[in-house]
Amino acid sequence: MIKIQHVYKRYRSVHALEDLSLEIPQGAIYGLIGPNGAGKTTLLRILGALIPPTAGQVWFDNEEITQSPAAIQRKIGYMPDFFGVYPDLTSAEYLEFYAGIHGISRSKRASTIADLLELVDLTSKQDALVETLSRGMKQRLCLARALIHDPDVLLLDEPASGFDTRARMEFRELLRTLQGMGKTIVISSHILLELAEMCSEIAIIRAGQLLTAGDVEHVTHNLSGGPRLELRVLERAADARQLLKDMPEISNIMDENDAEVIHVGFTGDDQALHRILAALMAHNIPVVSFAPHRTIDRLEEVYMSITEGVSSL
Amino acid sequence: MTFTALLAKELRSHLRRERFVWVIIIYLLIMGLLAFGYLQRQNAFSPAYQSYLLSQIGAQLYALLSLVQLFLIVFFAPAFTSTTINGEKERQTFDLLLCSKLSAFSLLAGKLIAGLVNVLLLIAASIPLFSLVFFFGGVSPTQVLSTLVVFVMTAIVAGTFSLFCSTILRRPTVSTATAYTFCVFWMFSYWIVYFLIGSPLFISPRLPVWIQWLNVSNPISALNSIVSGLQAGVASFSLFRLHFAPWVAYTLVCFMVTIVLFLLSILFVKPNPLGRFLSSLRLLGKKFRPSTFMKG
Repeated sequence: MIKIQHVYKRYRSVHALEDLSLEIPQGAIYGLIGPNGAGKTTLLRILGALIPPTAGQVWFDNEEITQSPAAIQRKIGYMPDFFGVYPDLTSAEYLEFYAGIHGISRSKRASTIADLLELVDLTSKQDALVETLSRGMKQRLCLARALIHDPDVLLLDEPASGFDTRARMEFRELLRTLQGMGKTIVISSHILLELAEMCSEIAIIRAGQLLTAGDVEHVTHNLSGGPRLELRVLERAADARQLLKDMPEISNIMDENDAEVIHVGFTGDDQALHRILAALMAHNIPVVSFAPHRTIDRLEEVYMSITEGVSSL
Repeated sequence: MTFTALLAKELRSHLRRERFVWVIIIYLLIMGLLAFGYLQRQNAFSPAYQSYLLSQIGAQLYALLSLVQLFLIVFFAPAFTSTTINGEKERQTFDLLLCSKLSAFSLLAGKLIAGLVNVLLLIAASIPLFSLVFFFGGVSPTQVLSTLVVFVMTAIVAGTFSLFCSTILRRPTVSTATAYTFCVFWMFSYWIVYFLIGSPLFISPRLPVWIQWLNVSNPISALNSIVSGLQAGVASFSLFRLHFAPWVAYTLVCFMVTIVLFLLSILFVKPNPLGRFLSSLRLLGKKFRPSTFMKG
């Protein structure tokens, strides 16, 4: 369990983090989301004991991070948002170097490196110079490097940026495998959907402050009031609205005008959806489309609304 | 173990670059052309030369090659070490080193030795050229060995200062420029002061102590004391009633400067030096505190 308590970080006049408190459960894949400059990298660097907080405390189980940074760093695998590779080395030499500086004995190094290259699917590239690897391969190599000393916690700063859909899906599977191995993974991104697919819990940060935290459904529910249903009718939109108002599963009707597209808050299950559609049909309301939006599908929309006015450039 | 891993990686990276081969070629070409030019000018290839004149040519050739080698060492040592730490920061690989078991000492020692190995390779590559001198004679093995010591100590100080610059300065270009500026002042300090203050101080029968120290810490003076030592006899440097040959005094000064610069680099290489120092004190305190078992 990682506990972040009232952490502040200031760089002269810049307030990178402001009274940020979080709890990251053991074994979670925890996402830090926020626009560029929100303070995600600063928070990850504090968690990695690379910089001390200006104020506040960070606890790894029962150890405070500023009291024993070296001991904490041994439990952490850090992957920065930059590749951080040495182009003159081959993939295997690159991992061998990090194995060496993490104190892994020579007898264990070869097998550890072979296992990690297999895990990140780079066995065929073990003798290739790092500079010849593609972006995705370099990122996987960096992940292997972060895992070289078998850390309990992985801190991944924007690890999936630049991945195509296939690479992102493979990366997600890789994270699940690592989670299955008992690792706690903290992962940051400014691309929300990237994290929504991967994480069990998320925290949204804006301008160094925590906006909300929790599991993905919970966060979106808190911010938007739950799932939504989108209806489109050919005519009799006012009748449809009146009918929906009386239904217990409908929490609110968002647009009160006579437009043919109706958005309503919805709190029921599939049975309730079926009942609503049946009622509309029974009243001969010509429904053209009937689209329930799960909370997670609306995460991007919610994120855009809460980070509005904060430039990502 | 962490130190050897870093050293192996640094050497692997350096020696794999094509640039390094070109550095050796250019280095030897400069030395070789100068030696050839000098011998040609002295008409040393003529069979009519007297043997005592040949030995004089040998001694002069050795002095010339040594001086050129000294300048080349001072030129190349910063090139291999002045961007080692801030270069890692610029490549954003420094954080990854901090997260490892690599101590500040191992990190700096690995970087310094890897940089100096390159310079030592240049010195070693020039040995066949220096052996030209033995065709002519006029140089003793003691001179050769003491010159080698001056070369190595000069490379170590230039390398350590450059490493220190790369530790405390953020930008590689700034640290490189600072290191070279220091090297220029170091090489010519004696003469710079001579021109700034004027000659009266230097021709007085007893030189002020600080000028003696300036002289003793100057690599050209140390080298000069060796190459001209056997012919003219060179005054020794005295400290606490101990008398040292100038090159020995130079070696001792270099040794002390290296230790000071290296310790300062250790202090500043990792973030929060004061915090780390206090944390080490706390750890020491815990280590020597009597345990509860002992109390009981």
